[in-house]
Amino acid sequence: MDSVKKSWVFRITIAWFALIAFFAIFGPWLPLPKWDQVFDDALSVTPFKQGHILGTDSNGYDIFSGVVYGARISLFISFTAVFVGGTIGSAIGITAAYVRGKFDYVVSTLFNVVLSIPNLVLSLALIAVLATNVDPNVPTSTGRRIMVLVISLTIVIIPILGRIARAATLSWSNREFVLAARSMGSNDRNIIWRHIVPNVLPAIFAVAFLAIGVVIVAEASLSLLGAGVPDGTSWGSMVARGRNDIEFAPHIIIIPLVCIAFTVIACNYIGDVIRKQLDQRQAKL
Amino acid sequence: MTTTFDGNTAHLRPSEQTLLQIKDLVVEFDLGGGRVVKAVSNVSLDLVEGETLSIVGESGCGKSTLGKAILQLPAPTSGSIVFQGTDITKLSKKDLRNVRPAMQMIFQDPVSSLDPRFPVSRAVEEPLKIWNRGNEMERSAKVDELLNSVGLDPALVRDRRPYEFSGGQCQRISIARALALEPKLLICDEPVSALDVSVQAQILNLLQDMKEAYGLTLIFISHDLAVVKAVSTRIMVMYLGKVCEIATPDELYSNPKHHYTSALVGSVPVPDPERKISATLLEGEPPSPLDPPSGCRFRTRCPAATELCATEEPMLRLAADGHYVACHHPRD
Amino acid sequence: MTSMLKLENLEISFATNRGSLHAVKGVSLDIDAGESIGIVGESGSGKTVLSRASMGLLAPTATRTGTVTFDGKEISSLSREEVRETWGTGMAMIFQDPMTALNPVRRIGPQIMEGLTVRLGMSKADARKRAIELLGRVRIPDPEQALNKFPGQLSGGMRQRVMIAIALACNPKLLFADEPTTALDVTVQAQILQLLSELRKELNMSMVLVTHDLGVVAGHTDKIAVMYAGEVVEYATTKDLFARMRMPYTEALMKSIPRLSTPSGSRLPVIEGRLPDPTKPEPGCLFASRCPYAQEKCHTQHPDLTTDSDGHQYRCFFPLGAAQ
Repeated sequence: MDSVKKSWVFRITIAWFALIAFFAIFGPWLPLPKWDQVFDDALSVTPFKQGHILGTDSNGYDIFSGVVYGARISLFISFTAVFVGGTIGSAIGITAAYVRGKFDYVVSTLFNVVLSIPNLVLSLALIAVLATNVDPNVPTSTGRRIMVLVISLTIVIIPILGRIARAATLSWSNREFVLAARSMGSNDRNIIWRHIVPNVLPAIFAVAFLAIGVVIVAEASLSLLGAGVPDGTSWGSMVARGRNDIEFAPHIIIIPLVCIAFTVIACNYIGDVIRKQLDQRQAKL
Repeated sequence: MTTTFDGNTAHLRPSEQTLLQIKDLVVEFDLGGGRVVKAVSNVSLDLVEGETLSIVGESGCGKSTLGKAILQLPAPTSGSIVFQGTDITKLSKKDLRNVRPAMQMIFQDPVSSLDPRFPVSRAVEEPLKIWNRGNEMERSAKVDELLNSVGLDPALVRDRRPYEFSGGQCQRISIARALALEPKLLICDEPVSALDVSVQAQILNLLQDMKEAYGLTLIFISHDLAVVKAVSTRIMVMYLGKVCEIATPDELYSNPKHHYTSALVGSVPVPDPERKISATLLEGEPPSPLDPPSGCRFRTRCPAATELCATEEPMLRLAADGHYVACHHPRD
Repeated sequence: MTSMLKLENLEISFATNRGSLHAVKGVSLDIDAGESIGIVGESGSGKTVLSRASMGLLAPTATRTGTVTFDGKEISSLSREEVRETWGTGMAMIFQDPMTALNPVRRIGPQIMEGLTVRLGMSKADARKRAIELLGRVRIPDPEQALNKFPGQLSGGMRQRVMIAIALACNPKLLFADEPTTALDVTVQAQILQLLSELRKELNMSMVLVTHDLGVVAGHTDKIAVMYAGEVVEYATTKDLFARMRMPYTEALMKSIPRLSTPSGSRLPVIEGRLPDPTKPEPGCLFASRCPYAQEKCHTQHPDLTTDSDGHQYRCFFPLGAAQ
């Protein structure tokens, strides 16, 4: 673990997370123009010109502000979806694996069915159902759109982490120390909370980080399809707005894409580090 | 072919004398599709306080399943288990739970018997916490006492995790934990099989010491005949879910009446180069417990099998003083 | 007698984050053609590392000094690819856990035939015939049917027989059997050991039987080497070892193992203490801290192997039965 902590990759990763967290939390208070402030005299400006660090897009929006404000939405959506989805999924998965029998059968079938639907298709379908009002002429509010986005991505995550939780629980609940706890008179609730959950959590965490990456990309894809956040900005919607300008102002989409890519790579790396730590510990057992 | 209810109980002693009496225990697992694993079939046994009964047999004989069934983990398919005068198979969940402190178990794999995240003190304290025995200080003192009695220095081991210890030490910790509730009955499921040879002796001695110190009655499950000889008062041999023979160790090994027992005894490698390889080598493999042979289950590999053995299941009968065998044609 | 395998001053250590782990310290052994030798020791004795090293199966993280000569050819200086040439036809190994030694997703037939087609260049049809013949020899019922089975469909004893069949497929001159029966039931163990002895005599093959069980080596070996903490501490013919034990460790080992002849209800003599730390070299005899006969000299000087007039080797200043 120490060798990892000292490595450059680890430090850069932590630095990146710190940076985007900073943006996400303190963004609105930074001395920056709002993301949708129009600079008429500076359209599609390349970085470092005319006072715009990362340039502007074809609407005149400052890209750096976009990155800062976008971090907020992207991270909010992905963390919420993974946290809520992970908790629900893990709860279901752990219970199913512990109880076994018909409940487990139903749960794993459900998980498999939902997992077999591609993320994007699933979330689009959910958004379409949940976000449209009965009267097609009334646009849905931003708040509702965001909530629907988060809900649909949460539903995508539930079986992903649920399956991991279930598999881990299956393996841990067969260990002899669980049998020993039962023979001592421990009830199921205690066994699950004291023995199973602490041992299963690391495996879930490792995949949870990967899931954050998945959701960020999913949200970006949804924005590209127009199903994302309408009234705010996320990295995905920045890409969506800039896709027509690839030919002559590629920086408009490259910058948000780089943000997305860095974050996903960082998440994957941390998830991998956790997994390796886990494997090492398992090896000692 | 039905077996009569009292058929296989010849070897049982009057129930007033026994701490544990098991009658006609059946444990079967339904795999679905009409396939049923007959792990334990109509096994009866009893234990007098202070005894050590060893159950020996090879893989698939049902001895481990039997041990767990006694603790109702999971509950057996049928049969009665009378412990300290009460049939525990008939108890409600709550009442069963209250009996648990009196019957504890130690397991084969010392490392996986302990939660890898629990430091030793927490692992040994767990049973006390579950049953709210004493306050925190009292429990801590009890943990230290237990660790000392199994030969571990509390100051050195309290805060460490299982992976820092050897197999033998982990087994000691498990023993300490099992003794926390001061049980009357301790079931040891292959407790030394996963340990190094020289460590086995240490743990076996420890079990003997604990038995004396805590007034325990032991059920010792093993596949190792030699290990079992050292610790037992009586030995019960199982094959494919059935009891073949019960006797005292000396009697069993010098005078095995069941053909399986004699093959088992003859197969044990002896560290003596002069000893001829035994001619009673068993051929073939044990049949599957999904489809055990009719009548005597051992007949497919038995040198003395006759037609009778295929049609009628042999019951346990007295062969010599305290020596019972289930065979139509026992050895002389 | 031709020497089949000769180990000279073999030292093997592994680099770990706690320091250099000395698994094998200066072991020399000599195995003749057709001979069977047992290597007895507990975990930590180095016996498994020794047998793996002799075959060239060590991980690249291991450092090895000393020489290994197989069938007159020095193989310790060969590259991994070159050593591989000796496998199958020269040396073969069977392992403790047949489930992990066999490929669970491949049928038995192809696993046996692979060695035949690749090593001996047999045609598929010939290899198949030979595979059936081999399975018959290891007494698997219905060999032709068995070819199509997966390892998971067989019992432990059956899988071990298959592993023996695979090992013997190319008629090796030397067989390493690394705890071949430890995971098996005692009646199956007896069958497998019997099978190995018969095959060995039939093929005039040398065998190295690595185990912790003194009972297993007693009936199936010509010579026995007892290892402790990486060193050979006693080396003699089987008869001689049991009849005139010289090492206190061997004696302690014999005494602490429960046997059928042990009176019931007795306490077993125990070897107190623990193995020395393999990362920290210590002065004196490695067994001294646990030896009931240890004297001053034992703690300060390290005994070398002494050979007495019958060729019985031991590593002790005050061996059992000798005049003090």
